[in-house]
Amino acid sequence: MHFSATILRPDELALRDEVRAFLAAELPGDRLPGLGMANDHDPDFSRKLAGRGWVGMAVPSEYGGHSRSAVDRFIVTEELLAAGAPISAHFVADRQTAPTLLSFGTEEQKREFLPRISAGECWFSLGMSEPDAGSDLASVRTSARKVEGGWCVTGTKVWTSGAHLNHYFAVLCRTSPLDGDRHEGLSQLIVDLSTAGVKVSPIPYLNGHHSFNEVVLEDVFVPDSMVLGDVGSGWKQVTSELAYERSGPDRFLSAFTLVQAFVAERAAGRLADDAARVVGQVAADFWAIRQLSLSVARTLDAGGAPAVESALVKDIGTRFEQSVVELVRSVADTEVGPDAGSVFEQLLAEAVLTSPTFTLRGGTTEVLRSIAAKGLTR
Amino acid sequence: MSDDRVAVSEAVTEILRNHSAPEDVRRTESQGWNEELWSILASAGFTLVSVPEVAGGSGGDIASAYAVIEAAGHFAAAVPVAETSVLGGWALAAAGLELPAGPTTVGTGAPKDDLWLQQRPSGWRLSGRLHRVPWARQAERLVLLVAYEDGHRVVSLPTSGLDIRPGTNLAGESRDDVVLDDVPADTNAPAPSEVNLTQLRLRGALARAASTAGALVRMSELTTRYTGERHQFGRPIARFQAVQRHVVRIAERAQTTAIAVECAAGNACPNPDFFDAASAKIVASRAATVAAAAAHQAHGAIGMTKEYELGQLSRRAWSWRDEFGSETRWSLELGQHLASDPDSFWPRISLGRHESAPHTGRTAPTQA
Repeated sequence: MHFSATILRPDELALRDEVRAFLAAELPGDRLPGLGMANDHDPDFSRKLAGRGWVGMAVPSEYGGHSRSAVDRFIVTEELLAAGAPISAHFVADRQTAPTLLSFGTEEQKREFLPRISAGECWFSLGMSEPDAGSDLASVRTSARKVEGGWCVTGTKVWTSGAHLNHYFAVLCRTSPLDGDRHEGLSQLIVDLSTAGVKVSPIPYLNGHHSFNEVVLEDVFVPDSMVLGDVGSGWKQVTSELAYERSGPDRFLSAFTLVQAFVAERAAGRLADDAARVVGQVAADFWAIRQLSLSVARTLDAGGAPAVESALVKDIGTRFEQSVVELVRSVADTEVGPDAGSVFEQLLAEAVLTSPTFTLRGGTTEVLRSIAAKGLTR
Repeated sequence: MSDDRVAVSEAVTEILRNHSAPEDVRRTESQGWNEELWSILASAGFTLVSVPEVAGGSGGDIASAYAVIEAAGHFAAAVPVAETSVLGGWALAAAGLELPAGPTTVGTGAPKDDLWLQQRPSGWRLSGRLHRVPWARQAERLVLLVAYEDGHRVVSLPTSGLDIRPGTNLAGESRDDVVLDDVPADTNAPAPSEVNLTQLRLRGALARAASTAGALVRMSELTTRYTGERHQFGRPIARFQAVQRHVVRIAERAQTTAIAVECAAGNACPNPDFFDAASAKIVASRAATVAAAAAHQAHGAIGMTKEYELGQLSRRAWSWRDEFGSETRWSLELGQHLASDPDSFWPRISLGRHESAPHTGRTAPTQA
């Protein structure tokens, strides 16, 4: 296991300055910022960002992307998250689907999807969890039977964020019957969410927000050309996919705009001692944890495979960002309500209601810990 | 780490492995310090890293000095390396005063410390009381920053003959009170502007953070090994999720502390920055609490024995987290500093590790 504090190069610092200038120009000063990944779906903003070359950064230019490094991607992503920018339309497609397509997709799939993802115009959801399969993802029951020219998929996916807004979802399903090793016989199929037989229904959050959906598939036809990678490679692909989403800035910056708003609103004059202590403590943690995450990006660019480091950083980051919400609340001396008051107070309400998800999405703390522990004892 | 720092770290680790093994730490605790180790480190030049060669030091950058301090923490080494190099040696060399052959230490600049310097016809005289001076009993010189007229002076006192009241921290390291009753203080010089109490406290805080990083990494190794070897209920206890939680928790805290120290020490050009050093100390002090608790929980009763190595590390971590300012004190200062300029909040947090000329961000607050 190896982490190292990395120095950003002049070109990387210049990129950061560009993104900051872009955000200062594009985002109105009085808008309500998002909380990390969970922010507004804004096709216009996604397109503008793509126009600057900041979507599809990891995609090679031959596929419509920009052949940028993981560190460049980190720099852009952290600026967007720190500003609470409305990136949710393209975020999953860019961050997860594109790398999966690059690693495992057919040439046809790469040419079909990558340019459109890089333009910020093709959005993906993830079809993984089911009512009976969450942490135990290998136990998915959605199945596909072979038919002429493709597959016929039947099953139910839940917690499918953005399925009501997105174009496609990558469905993990069983393409061969269970026979011994349950990690065998799983495949990922790219399903057009507007196909006949696909029914998307909202599953409202406890605060009424619509992000989650249930997606029921009833004999949905998926052509052979839309099997992502090889038939039977689903488990391998999905576990590598989960590794990509493990340790980027979206895993520790979810509560940043909350702290920023607190400091901006309360600091006129001087903070009360208890509030100052919280600000100092969380600033130190943001600073340190960011460097662990950046170190992973640098390692990826150097060709490394930082599996343990990624799991560790995601666990550290997500538990940290969750704790930030409670720390800020404890010194805010306010009653939290969703409609009332300032930017800070609105963000606090949103953060309190949604912070449980920080340690659930993309792998729960409990699962991450097992992965990290295995890696540490190796 | 740069090549220099790696080389320094590897070389000093070799010495520590041979002369500060757990049995050496145990044996020397009753003697107050590991004098044999000190002699070896001193003759190899590891006790004066970052003090300029022209002044009699070993040269090298301050990050290398902190790498030595971190390695010493890893091996629970009872030697005043931090005090002699980045604290006492730094102040003496900067003020043009002579370095002793033996160890130096410093007054820590704690609020309770009280000093009064006078220049009389018979010479300079110093009175006052210092609290919990690290290694006062073992040091050859005690270096103090004292307010005088409109500025400060660096005063170098010989420790022999001083009224030293012994004390220790939880790990048996000397933390002595020193009572100065009109003591001769002729070896003194004006303090250059960068030699001030703020900088001294930052260097000291970063030193304790570095020592803690070393200790926590060792604590993590120890706990990972122990839980892998200890069998209960027919399997290594590392297989139980409840135990994995502890093992992972220690590793996380150790790595976060280590990178914070690496960044703060690496950025010091040549002096540690306020945000960096304060952050590293906050991270280290909090990490010490979490990691020590997790390590003891994972070890069970054996971790509570004098015989077993863990106590050497946890007692140090528990002591160092409060020395040169606890997380409570530093987070208060850092928070007020950041609140005074909300627009700089994100730029400063995202500054990270940088080359000598920072791209953005502010310099240390000027306060005595």
